[in-house]
Amino acid sequence: MHLVRDRAHQFGVRGIDPQALSFDLRAAVGRKDEIVGGIISGIKSGLAKTAAITYINGRAAFLSPREIRVGKQTITADKTIMAVGSRVAKAQIPGLEDAGYLTNNEALKLHQVPASMVIIGAGYVGVEFAQMYARFGTRVTLVSRSARVMRNEEPELREALGHLLVQEGINLLTDTAVTAAGQADGQRYVEVKPATGKVQRLEAEQILLAAGRTARIEDLGLEQAGVALQNGFIQANGQLQTTAPNIWSLGDANGGQMVTHRAIYDGVTSALNAVLDKGRTVDYRVVPRAVFTEPALASVGLTQAEAEARGASVSIGTYAFSGSGRGKAMGATEGLVKIVADDKTGEILGGHILGAHADMLIHELVVAMQQRATARDLGKTIHIHPTLNEIVQSAAKAVK
Amino acid sequence: MSTQHFDIAIIGAGQGGLPAAHLAARLGARVALIEMHQVGGT
Ligand SMILES: Cc1cc2nc3c(=O)[nH]c(=O)nc-3n(C[C@H](O)[C@H](O)[C@H](O)COP(=O)(O)OP(=O)(O)OC[C@H]3O[C@@H](n4cnc5c(N)ncnc54)[C@H](O)[C@@H]3O)c2cc1C
Repeated sequence: MHLVRDRAHQFGVRGIDPQALSFDLRAAVGRKDEIVGGIISGIKSGLAKTAAITYINGRAAFLSPREIRVGKQTITADKTIMAVGSRVAKAQIPGLEDAGYLTNNEALKLHQVPASMVIIGAGYVGVEFAQMYARFGTRVTLVSRSARVMRNEEPELREALGHLLVQEGINLLTDTAVTAAGQADGQRYVEVKPATGKVQRLEAEQILLAAGRTARIEDLGLEQAGVALQNGFIQANGQLQTTAPNIWSLGDANGGQMVTHRAIYDGVTSALNAVLDKGRTVDYRVVPRAVFTEPALASVGLTQAEAEARGASVSIGTYAFSGSGRGKAMGATEGLVKIVADDKTGEILGGHILGAHADMLIHELVVAMQQRATARDLGKTIHIHPTLNEIVQSAAKAVK
Repeated sequence: MSTQHFDIAIIGAGQGGLPAAHLAARLGARVALIEMHQVGGT
């Protein structure tokens, strides 16, 4: 509600009484369910119209590379594509199971805004839910094992996003381990230990576990199928073929970037290879990703550190949203664009954006990278004024 | 119970399984799409 008040004030809207505002989580969840329900019924009717697809509801387990049991039924298939996805990884935190916790699934079904929530893990699920519940009015503590939120992203953007979350009232604990959880007097608690400091006990009406995901492979009969694992994920080669020659695997279950658009891309590749023997190899050089906080964080390709670790000599260009007229008019002055380019060729190796509509703006860099464009190519491309895209152009021009 | 035979079985009707199933069907395969929860995934 503070957001409505602040925005109204900023834009000169008078007469909004923050005391009179209230938020109905049940209604918001109902709206979400309606949208998701519509999508699911669309998927179902698409399947029903496709005669060549037989939809079977049940848990599948391999009996052999060509036999799959589903409930009481056994089917045979010449080839199989595994698309089993991922689930929240169990955390080795004493007392957590007994204390009871939410995963992202349950956290989208609550009907009452909890007074307090401790979120374990500051990856994209952790930060998105932290901001969402903080805005609903929950006192949120976000616990990060590392020094900043969003491991693997550019340090400047991580720092800035963490700062924005703290400004919104989120209690961000960095370099902190969760050492225990439990219930005392009917109240959940979490114990945390900062790298330097004493163990601290935090009360939490709800605990949200968001500390990583793992392949969903329980009881799948992988041994019977001859499918091997690698670091807990399904081992697949560049053609997405597993160690069983007639079985392919795609998406989250293979590890790497766990995003929908990668799973879709894998779906196409694996179908071409399984059905037509195309021998097509996946190319993950340009897979963008986004964190849907506000402002959003989106990126593609390599960070500066990753490029340097690969031996590239890099040039960097940055530009802040605060330098944009459109950003000012929108009240969106937080954030920056950072472009990493090869110093010798000028080719763009990575793009990183924190700021309003970063999830959309990033596509300009996605297309540029797909075409192996240079920062100069992007910088000299005429952009519409006044748009946020000019910030991307300015960052490209800033690459030395 | 009789055993049904398919060209391709796809385990999981989530974000990757669904496009794989539709494309395989379009390419002429007889497909079994197996899902334990709900189509759509995660
Ligand atoms: C909270 C959250 C937010 C996310 N937000 C985004 C986002 O904004 N953008 C984005 O790109 N990605 C997002 N993701 C990631 C995205 O959801 C996954 O990357 C994507 O769903 C992976 O597709 P998949 O096909 O590999 O697995 P899934 O879509 O999870 O599908 C796997 C399916 O297989 C079924 N299954 C598993 N085992 C069996 C079995 N033995 N028998 C039968 N069925 C089985 C499961 O029930 C499931 O339906 C988010 C994930 C989470 C958890």
